[in-house]
Amino acid sequence: MARYVGQRVKRTEDPRLIKGLAHYVDDIRLPDTLHVAFVRSIYAHARINGVDAGEALKAPGVVAIFTGKDVSEKIGPVPCASALPELKVPDHRVLATDKVYFVGHPIAAVVAADAYAARDAAELLMIDYEELPAVVNAEEAAQGGAVIHEQFGSNVAYKLTAGEGDIVAALASADRRIKQRIINQRLAPVAMEPRGVLARYLPGEQELTVWSSTQIPHLLRTQLALMIGIPENKLRVITPEVGGGFGSKLNVYAEEALLGWISMQLGRPAKWIETRRENMQATIHGRGQVGEIEIGCKADGTVTGLRYNVVADLGAYHQLLTPAIPTLTGLMLSGAYKIPAIQINVTGVFTNKMATDAYRGAGRPEATYVVERAIDLVAAELGLDPVAVRRRNFPAPEEFPFKTATGLFYDSGNYEGALAKALENAGYERLREEQRAAREQGRIVGIGVSTYVEICALGPSQAMPAGGWESATVRIEPTGTVTVLTGASPHGQGQETSFAQLAADELGVDMGDVTVVHGDTAIVQYGIGTFGSRATAVGGTAVFVAIEKLKEKASKIAAHMLGTDAVNVVFAEGVFSIKETKKAAAAAGDGKAADADSDEVPEPVVPVGEGPAGALPEPETEGRKKVSIQEVALAAHLARELPPDTEPGLSATYFFEPKNFTFPFGTHIAVVEIDRETGEVKFQRYVAVDDCGRVINPMLVDGQVQGGIVQSIGQALYEEVVYDEQGQLITGTLMDYAVPRAKMIPWFELDRTETPTDVNPLGVKGVGEAGTIGATPAIVNAVVDALSPFGVRHIDMPIRPEAVWRIINSSDE
Amino acid sequence: MKIEGTHELRAPRERVWQALVDPSVLQRCIPGCERLERTGEDSYAATLRTGVGAIKGVFQGSVRLEDMSVPTHYRIVVDGKGQPGFLKGAGDLDLEERDGGTVVRYAGDVQVGGTLASVGQRMIQGAAKMMAAQFFTALEAEAQVEQGDPPPRHGFFRTALRAISGLLRQIFKRH
Repeated sequence: MARYVGQRVKRTEDPRLIKGLAHYVDDIRLPDTLHVAFVRSIYAHARINGVDAGEALKAPGVVAIFTGKDVSEKIGPVPCASALPELKVPDHRVLATDKVYFVGHPIAAVVAADAYAARDAAELLMIDYEELPAVVNAEEAAQGGAVIHEQFGSNVAYKLTAGEGDIVAALASADRRIKQRIINQRLAPVAMEPRGVLARYLPGEQELTVWSSTQIPHLLRTQLALMIGIPENKLRVITPEVGGGFGSKLNVYAEEALLGWISMQLGRPAKWIETRRENMQATIHGRGQVGEIEIGCKADGTVTGLRYNVVADLGAYHQLLTPAIPTLTGLMLSGAYKIPAIQINVTGVFTNKMATDAYRGAGRPEATYVVERAIDLVAAELGLDPVAVRRRNFPAPEEFPFKTATGLFYDSGNYEGALAKALENAGYERLREEQRAAREQGRIVGIGVSTYVEICALGPSQAMPAGGWESATVRIEPTGTVTVLTGASPHGQGQETSFAQLAADELGVDMGDVTVVHGDTAIVQYGIGTFGSRATAVGGTAVFVAIEKLKEKASKIAAHMLGTDAVNVVFAEGVFSIKETKKAAAAAGDGKAADADSDEVPEPVVPVGEGPAGALPEPETEGRKKVSIQEVALAAHLARELPPDTEPGLSATYFFEPKNFTFPFGTHIAVVEIDRETGEVKFQRYVAVDDCGRVINPMLVDGQVQGGIVQSIGQALYEEVVYDEQGQLITGTLMDYAVPRAKMIPWFELDRTETPTDVNPLGVKGVGEAGTIGATPAIVNAVVDALSPFGVRHIDMPIRPEAVWRIINSSDE
Repeated sequence: MKIEGTHELRAPRERVWQALVDPSVLQRCIPGCERLERTGEDSYAATLRTGVGAIKGVFQGSVRLEDMSVPTHYRIVVDGKGQPGFLKGAGDLDLEERDGGTVVRYAGDVQVGGTLASVGQRMIQGAAKMMAAQFFTALEAEAQVEQGDPPPRHGFFRTALRAISGLLRQIFKRH
């Protein structure tokens, strides 16, 4: 049955991407389009005493200028979907009115005939700022000082304590207690394609179409309808090609609503394409947690308790999921271990910066970093091998579903299996010997291990702000081609390929006959979107079950066509045939009846270009024992002879609601060598064994893992969003924000174990974020291991050569 | 951010001082200065078209001269805003006579914001030094003109030529 599933099928998306034939938002050109430029705050915190648009309005090509005063009553606030107890939610208007709260805060929208005129005119807008003290350091902001949103009286947006077990007793009774300050620095997602919006309002039809580079077309439609006040059924969101999101486009942004509203005001299409500078300033950031871990353990390495007190740097406003991200960190604090008592104390703090929100991993990389660093700290404290400490704390495979002290049920896992495979692939014992030898030569070599588990396939609807299900419609067109409509919104993950593999196998058709459609709310049934490593586990399952439903109906029609009952019909490789009874088989003598009959299945049903104009030919089924599913589709559409009570057409829709999250896991091993002269960290090996359940396309899984590890390397060694003491963004370009480049990336030795989940019938877990979650601590653990002869037990990210060099040169080893 | 430097001008200190407090001279010498109007005692309103690298734009601001001590010292306080960001700062200028010429020392603290900070921060010190060199080269030409004579012309190429010849002069003086 599996002709495609499990195969390394090349991405069908790639030819158009490689040839430059794909259409991103900016590639969509509509006649008469106006272009929008935003005037953004140059201060982190200031009062706006006035906006003078006089000069700008006189500039050539300028059509209109809108300020906060013009729109704040007309467009609803930018939404925050997370509901936490006593959460402070500032009124987040699409343009600043009285005050600006971060560098990049939009103040005015300049609309002009072309993008150049708009940006030139934007420079002429005079804004009378009165600078206010900027709140930059989240820990200090939690303590007092200047208050950003005066109505709340402090900068604390929320406080949250979670976890089970008696943490106080667990820590008090431990043989050893270790404390460590730990930082997950602010990162910028840096999707290759920045954001972009094109909006077209048709005054006659009263319909608004918004093209946006988003991960969530349907959720965006709902939110924009509410913000702009247009009926949701008059609003269409189209997501064309999207050049990466990494969570940064899992959001509803002020610019998206403004562009729609501007097009409605002016009756012309309006476009805005984000510049990289705007992207660094005003697209969400990720991470931004500063905390302290306290871990208790027995002398044998058994972890008895873990406490994490953390200040989350939320930024000035809540975007869609801002306050929720640290709660995911709390949920995953058990890692891959049996820890009886866990507690997280989160303080979410407003600062004069761009909001933090979901960036690839979204809360789980933070948790994994905390837990995997903690395990290495235990190993260092007790003088044990970090692998041994991990093994001591793993739950055994038979303990699944495994309940954590954070209230989760891990679906399935074999942590030892993945660890053992990774150790074998890396040659761990030999690596340790080589490390000893290298140290004797004066070289600085380290080996880091991370045995991560993550939570994904988000998720059951009870745990999600806007539904955790996903939808699919599968239909076979009259001419036999298959259309799959998925509510997920792939933007680089390759589901046009993997869903076609799945559908082709399940329907027994060629992959080339399957087209996967997504990202257009006027075509695709309501869906949730692509984020949280959910598209295949939840959306793929919806496709799978929709096909089951479709085949059930097709089976009835096929039976009718073959003159028998559905119970007598079997489906295999795209063909319905009458079940061989023992009697019939005996009558056929040697059982070759099926072979003799196979020639009777004509395909394709209607050859393209040769089909008759007008009426389609009725499939000839008289006296046949087999009929292809594509013939059934034609018969279903012609509907001249359908079984009683059967609807015409051949299409099925399914909304899949998962009963749980899934919990992929794996082991990453990094081997690094540090240049004594420069402090630079260089990779010698990188070995990963990931377990994301059943795999549909190993090539896509490898690609996801590779990309994820690269972003982990970024966090571990290079990347950090830096604001200065005045709240000025210093890392405002790709010259200053250090995204890793090809030469900084080692060869990845990737492998897998496969532990299916029973959360969905595909057994698929999800893999989009695993690399970003598992790799960061492996790299940091390797660097710390390398520097351990210098007395180092921890080092903060990003591990810059300067910091490493100082350690090497200030120690006498 | 600290900015400091020293420039040697081949002109008598009195003349350099006169140039340094004459708004029409300053306007001609400050690179990109389009307007410098007196708004009060030692206070001026300025329009500056300048930038760092690709970040260029028009800045509107004020300039104030303080702690005047003729002809050896003043403090300059600048505050400007424009679409590329803002800059504000203060610095001290000290004039010293040497071999019939004048040595000008400047030391100040500058703060920038907006795009100027996020794109240009790394380059600001370099850009500031370059602008200072342009300024003092032009100022020297002004101070060398006899009083009453028409002022020298500046422009990009003239200033660059003067700067290069000044550089060559320094190189040969060392040998």
